[in-house]
Amino acid sequence: MTDTATATSATSARTSSTSAETNSSIVFDNVTKTYPGQSAKALDSLSIEVKSGELVCLVGPSGGGKTTALQLVNRLVDLSRGEIRIGDTNIMDLSPIELRRTIGYAIQQSGLFPHCTVAENIATVPSILKWDRKRIEERTKQLLELVGLTPVDAWLKRYPGQLSGGQQQRVGIARALAADPPVMLMDEPFGALDPITRMAVQDEFLEIHRAVGKTTLFVTHDIDEAIKMADRIAILKPGGLLAQYDTPAEVLANPADDFVAEFLGAERGLKRLALTTVAEVLGRSRARADDAESRRAPMSSPPEDRVDWPVVAGTMTLREALSLVSAAHSHGARVMDGDRHLGDVTLHELVCPPATAVDARGTAGVRS
Amino acid sequence: MSGFAPAGDPVIPDYGQASNCVIDNGVFCTDWFADQWSSVFWPPLVDHIYMVLIAVTIGFVVAFTAALIAYRKRWLAGPIGIAATFLYTLPPLALFQLLVPFTGLTLLTVEIALVCFTLVIIFQAVLAGLAAVPDDVKRAAVGMGLDTNQLMRRVELPLALPSIISGLRIATVLTVSVATIAAFVVDSGLGSPILKAVSSPFNTQFIAAGALAVLLAFVLDGLLVLLGRILTPWTRVRV
Repeated sequence: MTDTATATSATSARTSSTSAETNSSIVFDNVTKTYPGQSAKALDSLSIEVKSGELVCLVGPSGGGKTTALQLVNRLVDLSRGEIRIGDTNIMDLSPIELRRTIGYAIQQSGLFPHCTVAENIATVPSILKWDRKRIEERTKQLLELVGLTPVDAWLKRYPGQLSGGQQQRVGIARALAADPPVMLMDEPFGALDPITRMAVQDEFLEIHRAVGKTTLFVTHDIDEAIKMADRIAILKPGGLLAQYDTPAEVLANPADDFVAEFLGAERGLKRLALTTVAEVLGRSRARADDAESRRAPMSSPPEDRVDWPVVAGTMTLREALSLVSAAHSHGARVMDGDRHLGDVTLHELVCPPATAVDARGTAGVRS
Repeated sequence: MSGFAPAGDPVIPDYGQASNCVIDNGVFCTDWFADQWSSVFWPPLVDHIYMVLIAVTIGFVVAFTAALIAYRKRWLAGPIGIAATFLYTLPPLALFQLLVPFTGLTLLTVEIALVCFTLVIIFQAVLAGLAAVPDDVKRAAVGMGLDTNQLMRRVELPLALPSIISGLRIATVLTVSVATIAAFVVDSGLGSPILKAVSSPFNTQFIAAGALAVLLAFVLDGLLVLLGRILTPWTRVRV
């Protein structure tokens, strides 16, 4: 339950923060890119809209043009045809320098300046925008707190060489957020991190994203990362063609073609289960009156046939819970929040979650 | 000095009492060195330092500017590099010979030659340093909206500093050494006591002046290392 509550508050925080701002959607309108000297298109007639506050992942194999698509937005690469708008502004109406200063940019390996301290790195854009020192200092501290590098004073004076990969990436995100840009571009920002650090930084970034509500375009080659992070996923195939653009749940349930199905992999059914938490399933099931007797009671001991059911947390994904159930050879799992028994989920509910529970993910996202 | 000397009396200058070491032309006569320090060694040492500093400073300004131009206009890197290498390959004595008809037996002749020898070293060091700036760092900087000058000032030059400093160190040490040949053109620098001592074989003067040149090279090199440490604190921090 607590999880659903946080999801709701996070969602509302995001809507409120974005609705307060002006339109910061990113619109690709029939965008084509051909690099000079190459006959094949890097990006072919891409038309997608990233709505204000949305996190969209661009995925696909190398050669799919996903990084090209990203770099077209901040004009590191020049358009061949078509139009890109941020909010109501055509990006060609601004000078590249001006445009880039309004866009947060984070890349793989963090791209931090090795000769600058953490504080100086974060202050890069504010200082070229000539913010006064006091304001930069406050903003820097605020951002370090946001990315979880506390106590702040212990981090300000360090050099990137003194930080772990995960810490560098956090500073990279703080730096991208420094001038409070409405739009963020992230180019495989977590690509170089080890799996454990990667998971942790993904979770933190999702939380930050919900808190600050930046319209985010996120390039990754890792479909699992996309499924975990994205509100919507744009899958590009070689030649820069858009194969599918939809929510993770929809992409997993109904791949547009064989390419997408193959790209998602043989486990896409299971990946779909990773989109929903046990608590979400429980929330829907408990609302059903006919199911009340076994789940509402604050049981001290389970019925005999459920003694050997494994205990799972509400925050677990269905995929994780299913794994425990399978390992325990049981027909379901008992959902506990510490000592409190929240209810039971059956094997059937885990494998075929109610459609509403899955759809809830489309906007709220999974927390772990 | 004091009027006319009486005829028939040979004029024998009074060099004072020489120690046994000096009379025997020992390897190194400490007493003589201490005695002559302020007249034979200190003034040439100061001249030598000036000569080196002027040459390295001018060489740095010229080579650094050339390197920045070559970095922006890549096609110029080749021709400038070849020209600088050509100047570097000229034998210093031959270069003096070439210059003297135009600039005479002056310090200017010496400085022109010395500057020529520093150019290629500093030029290549600056270019190599700029080329070694990681691409992802530059991409991040450009992506954040730094313009070309900001990129150079805030990112590329600071990151090229270690390479620039090592170029300066080599150029400085080399100049200290080459500057001793300046004695063929002007009576200045540590080369002149060496040259005089070589023609009238007197060990102490020869060894002392040579040792001072070596010592000076070490000291200037050390100062540059120190400067590098102060300017690039990030290179020394490791987890």
